[in-house]
Amino acid sequence: MDAVKTLGKTLVASPERQLEADSDLAIVRRVQNGDVAAFDQLVLKYRGRVYSVVYNLTSNREDAADLTQDAFIKSFQSINRFQGQSSFFTWLYRIAVNSTLTHLRKNRLRTFFSFEKINEDDKVSAEVIAAMTDATGADRETFARELQEKLNEAMQKLSIKHRTVITLFEIDGLGHQEIAEIMNCSVGTVRSRLHYAKQLLQSELQPYIRR
Amino acid sequence: MNDNPRKTTVTLEELLRLKRAEQPPAEFWTQFEHGLRAKQLAAIVEPRPWWAPFIRIGARISRYQLPVGATAILAITFLTVWEYHPTGAATVFEPAVAEAAGLAVPAPASEKTAAVDSAVGPAMASTALMAAPGPAQTMAATEIPVAQPAAALGTSSHVAVVNSELASARYVAENLAAAQAADPQFDQILGSSLRGVESSPVRAEPLAQISVPGNSRHSRLLGGVTWLASAGTSDSALRVNEQAAHHLTERRLSESDVVSRVDVGGDRVTVKF
Repeated sequence: MDAVKTLGKTLVASPERQLEADSDLAIVRRVQNGDVAAFDQLVLKYRGRVYSVVYNLTSNREDAADLTQDAFIKSFQSINRFQGQSSFFTWLYRIAVNSTLTHLRKNRLRTFFSFEKINEDDKVSAEVIAAMTDATGADRETFARELQEKLNEAMQKLSIKHRTVITLFEIDGLGHQEIAEIMNCSVGTVRSRLHYAKQLLQSELQPYIRR
Repeated sequence: MNDNPRKTTVTLEELLRLKRAEQPPAEFWTQFEHGLRAKQLAAIVEPRPWWAPFIRIGARISRYQLPVGATAILAITFLTVWEYHPTGAATVFEPAVAEAAGLAVPAPASEKTAAVDSAVGPAMASTALMAAPGPAQTMAATEIPVAQPAAALGTSSHVAVVNSELASARYVAENLAAAQAADPQFDQILGSSLRGVESSPVRAEPLAQISVPGNSRHSRLLGGVTWLASAGTSDSALRVNEQAAHHLTERRLSESDVVSRVDVGGDRVTVKF
């Protein structure tokens, strides 16, 4: 069973991912052998991505920071049980996503939103906002904020599982196989959830989407 | 809310890429580092809960879900089969009753009865259990099951049942003789026990219980007439006839077909046969 999983991962993962996984595994071995400071490299490497995933699931920056820290603490405590059957980042993502889902289920009725500001230094996002707004700067900033609110509202209308899939696929850029491993479900389920989530988002964001 | 959206010039994927640009500022990561260090230290100092080792053991066992589950199912099945004795009641019951009555119990009889009971099933076993309290009912316990399987099981089973019945009757007779020899008062005890059995209503064929209207009419007529024929034979018959004559009112005699056969005139009654 484990061999099949490893084979599947090897067939699907790109060479870059494989190199990354190998270097992560080397660091993990060092930590397991007592070089605790080596874990900081893993934290520095993955904190932004883990935070992004958790933030897009919760839409709350304070909760996202706490949950990201908790994910790293849990992974550090359990690193001796990591056997390298999956890549470290998949394992870390699974811990973070599971912690976040547990948090969301516990606080289903208590939702507070606090958003990060859109970094317009990012070339792609700047192009998107420019295409949707007039050339005037003031209108652009207002529209960017309005668009951000609408996006987050639409994301929050998705169920937790659909939100997780769309976050991991569209925002974090993971593949179907990796998402399936993180969410402990089949690739078909991931595709199905992705399709359904996109349909819902399109209906919610209809005024902003080109046909 | 903008009610009049602008040019719809982007795709959903492009919109979602905006979410990637929602990044925290640099100072956020400084605070993040401080918070992470504090939590790491707290995790070291914090005592582990007493049930933490069980979680670890559970996680290790969870790898072997299939063999552990299969073993559990097999164990439950084995225990269930081991505890379930559908024919045990008949085999245990007879010696217990016989010993209580101080009788000798021949082994072949109980084996044959048990064979019949096991062929009949739990329903017959329960019948045997119900018949447990007395010796007279012990006979019923051996005889009641043999009537029904004979019809249901065919020739070979019928032969076995008949053998069982004969053997049971023989052994009951032997036991009865032994008990009478051992205890002179046994007849009185047995008689008191059988009194209830004798007084119980005898089963009759269902068709025999259906009365034909012609028969009742015939007996009614004969009942009304025989007092004349048997008059003077005996005192009891005379009393019966007087009662019948009392019921033979004039009105009844003048009704329906009775009139055609019974003729009343003056001080005499004529009956035509």
